[in-house]
Amino acid sequence: MREMLEVKALSVRLGQKQILEDLSFSVGEGEWLMIAGPNGAGKSTAVRAMTRGVDYKGTVLFQGQDIRRKKSVELARCIGVLAQSNPVSYSFSVEEVVSLGRYSHAPGLFPFFRRGTAEQKPDAPEASQNSDRDMVEYALELTGMTRQRGQSVLTLSGGELQRTFLAQALAQDPRLLVLDEPTNHLDLLYQKQVFELIGEWLKTPGRAVISVTHDLSLAKAYGTGVLLLDHGRKAALGKAEEVLTPQVLERVYRMDVYGWMRKMLSQWAEET
Amino acid sequence: MKISVKRTRTLAALLAAAMLLAFTACGTENKETESSPITVTDMMGREITLEKPAERIVALTPSDCEILYAIGAGDALVGRGTYCDYPAEVADVPEVGSGSDTNIEQILALEPQVLLMSTMSQTEEQAKQLEDAGVRVVISDAQDIEGVYTAIEMIGALMGKDEEAAALVQSMKTAFAELEEKAEPDGSKTIYFEVSPLEYGLWAAGKNTFMDEVANMLGLKNCFDDLDGWASVSEEQVLERNPDYILTITMYYGEGPLPEEEIMARPGWENVTAVKNGAILNLQNNELSRPAPRLVDGARMLYDFVYGEE
Amino acid sequence: MRVHKERFSAPEYLLFTAVTFGIFCFCVCTGSVSIPLKDTLSLIRDAVCGVIGSWIDHTESVLPEGTTASILLAVRLPRVLCTALTGAALSLAGAAMQGLLKNPLADGSTLGVSSGAALGAVCAIAFGITFPALPFAGTMVTAVLFAFLSLLLILGLAYRLDHSLSTDTIILIGVVFSMFVSSLMSIVITFAADRVQHITFWTMGSLQGKGYPDVLVLLGALVFFGGVIFLHSRELNAFAMGEENAGHIGVNVRRVRLVLLIAVSGLIGVCVSVGGTIGFVGLVTPHMLRMLTGPNHRRLLPASLFGGACFLMLADLAARTLLNPRELNVGIVTSLAGAVVFILIFYRARRRG
Repeated sequence: MREMLEVKALSVRLGQKQILEDLSFSVGEGEWLMIAGPNGAGKSTAVRAMTRGVDYKGTVLFQGQDIRRKKSVELARCIGVLAQSNPVSYSFSVEEVVSLGRYSHAPGLFPFFRRGTAEQKPDAPEASQNSDRDMVEYALELTGMTRQRGQSVLTLSGGELQRTFLAQALAQDPRLLVLDEPTNHLDLLYQKQVFELIGEWLKTPGRAVISVTHDLSLAKAYGTGVLLLDHGRKAALGKAEEVLTPQVLERVYRMDVYGWMRKMLSQWAEET
Repeated sequence: MKISVKRTRTLAALLAAAMLLAFTACGTENKETESSPITVTDMMGREITLEKPAERIVALTPSDCEILYAIGAGDALVGRGTYCDYPAEVADVPEVGSGSDTNIEQILALEPQVLLMSTMSQTEEQAKQLEDAGVRVVISDAQDIEGVYTAIEMIGALMGKDEEAAALVQSMKTAFAELEEKAEPDGSKTIYFEVSPLEYGLWAAGKNTFMDEVANMLGLKNCFDDLDGWASVSEEQVLERNPDYILTITMYYGEGPLPEEEIMARPGWENVTAVKNGAILNLQNNELSRPAPRLVDGARMLYDFVYGEE
Repeated sequence: MRVHKERFSAPEYLLFTAVTFGIFCFCVCTGSVSIPLKDTLSLIRDAVCGVIGSWIDHTESVLPEGTTASILLAVRLPRVLCTALTGAALSLAGAAMQGLLKNPLADGSTLGVSSGAALGAVCAIAFGITFPALPFAGTMVTAVLFAFLSLLLILGLAYRLDHSLSTDTIILIGVVFSMFVSSLMSIVITFAADRVQHITFWTMGSLQGKGYPDVLVLLGALVFFGGVIFLHSRELNAFAMGEENAGHIGVNVRRVRLVLLIAVSGLIGVCVSVGGTIGFVGLVTPHMLRMLTGPNHRRLLPASLFGGACFLMLADLAARTLLNPRELNVGIVTSLAGAVVFILIFYRARRRG
């Protein structure tokens, strides 16, 4: 199995505060890594480091290449990101937002030069040969936003907005999708749909997903691996069933997670 | 918030300008009493009584300083406003600020008996503050040449220099009368008074200005006499009105073209009669913009410029 | 729901050009001194023929003469051209800043960048900074430089206070910075009290007395800096959707932001050094046009270019003719309109939360 992303000794310091310390993990092709942990554990910061959104120490390799050495557009063709929230202030249409996901595939100001270098790129995705139009249609369809394509993003609900930006990340046609709490604003039906569609997207060879989530049940259900963070350090890493054990969870969350979950579920059992 | 600050300032400036223009002369006869105490009615109609002629005086406006020196009372001047620059020796007198930056404490420290100011640049609050502190505030506010005579006589009375003042007024009257006599107007020549150059927005002197009054005296027609006071004017209008003479009061700072040359070089102005004939005069020492005795000098220079020196 | 096309289409270009040209002609034909339309047209025809004729024959160009010709060709025409170019440049700079900062209230005048540029021009005058080869370049270079420094300072401060650059932050910083600049201006004035008149000119915009050299300077700045902004319309779209998101889709955020800030400073600096601070043009026109074209910068930027030219030409027409034979500063007219639009945008932004 090929390694898609390797993170080695990642540390992030913001001002006086050490947010992440000596974090190492890797994600292979076809894998879906769930990053979980209590609030303030450094989950979002880890995601931002992987996309160069924050200064870090250590190394992040994408398919063996240091992401620091990549140009912004090259990195965007490798890694697509869905941020936790995307406040909007202008009435762009859904389609305009999604289309902009194709930015990194556009010929740019000087198409001649760009084309000359593109051929040597090992990471140039095959799908980028699909026309921009097709990728946008595909992304709109996958996220169920086709019908709202002409609607202004200012009039969308939180869930629709989240799906619009997910579609943008998908239109980017990356190899690795990094999602920061992708189902944050979504109701149950869409939570299910989004996770299913990401699972579907992942089936194509040469892809991987990393997502941050608070929902341990979802992590267990969809993740091929789970990374538990606590106070900026790795608390546990491995297969879901190895990491999400009562002992580990109690240590990280400082509560009886299993007991709590069981209590929650038992309400439903009694009803039926 | 920001807009209001900026706009208010602009508005205030506009209003202030409008008010200045609206002020009309309120020259009043001063009562000349030979024996002390002296009672003077200032140009706002307020009565001021002094035990004896003033020996220490502060004058905030350049014109009042000029009058003081002209009637031989320059020695009594113990403080002056920022922009007082004539005659040269006035520079040695301590400066006490001007306008809203007037330094009241400094004025009080100079212990003047009288403060001369105008309604133009000082506020009522400042006047009241000084009067509360025992300084007699006298307001001079000449809007025309007649007003200048009144101001001279009033200041003469304050300083106990009535005779000198009367002589000065008489000499001014004689000089103006002579010029008026000598001038041979054919009634068709026009003049344009430029008080701000094109680079910073054209402003012209309209009617109810000293320049307009002097122009009329010399038989010239001010080509912007349809405007009141100093006003911003359109460049097109200057070309259209095609003045025979141009008088500019732009200061020259010793770099770039002279103000006359700058006007000559303006694109599109080559068809203006004054530019064609090179009939442009630069009076940059405020000879014709201050209500002071030097108005006579300014009028003479304009006469020489228009009718040729004798 | 209206779906906007991605680009400005040829008919739209044609329409905007026609409207702009129509307003341009109207502004050239109308003025403080009224010149009959017939004379105007024949004068312009003669002038054009004269210039072209001189090119063909390699002789001195024969231009129409007389007072009317002077008024039209030497005074009014260059002024209207300058006005159109200044309006286009300021409006483009405003649209770019609003995209870059993702805030419809961001503009050279609301943030205080124009005041900063004016301070630069004033410093050049007060301390006699000139370049011997180019007599008027002194104020221009310092104005551009100060505009850029102001932007860096304002944004540095803004990012520190509030990374998302909310409307409140933008307004707050604008107020504080403008007050800061105006006190610096007062200090400069105390050092050069004899030039108060010259200095106050920069704080109140006017396009009186502008000639063909100014037209060329403005055109050059507009082609160069405006071109840079046009080439970055997709990046501006990305910034307008959010700076973090722009980074995610592959925009080199730091470099593009720097390039755009330099272009914006260049436009504002050159405009201020030519016509003083003419406020709110960059706020009013992009806002109005966004309603028409939508926020996509590939449509908004060309529309702003034309719209800004039209808006300022009409504002200057009002300044020239309303109080005839007196003149108003065009800055007063634009600020009157600008204040209303400012409140409108602020109100809308507030309602949206």
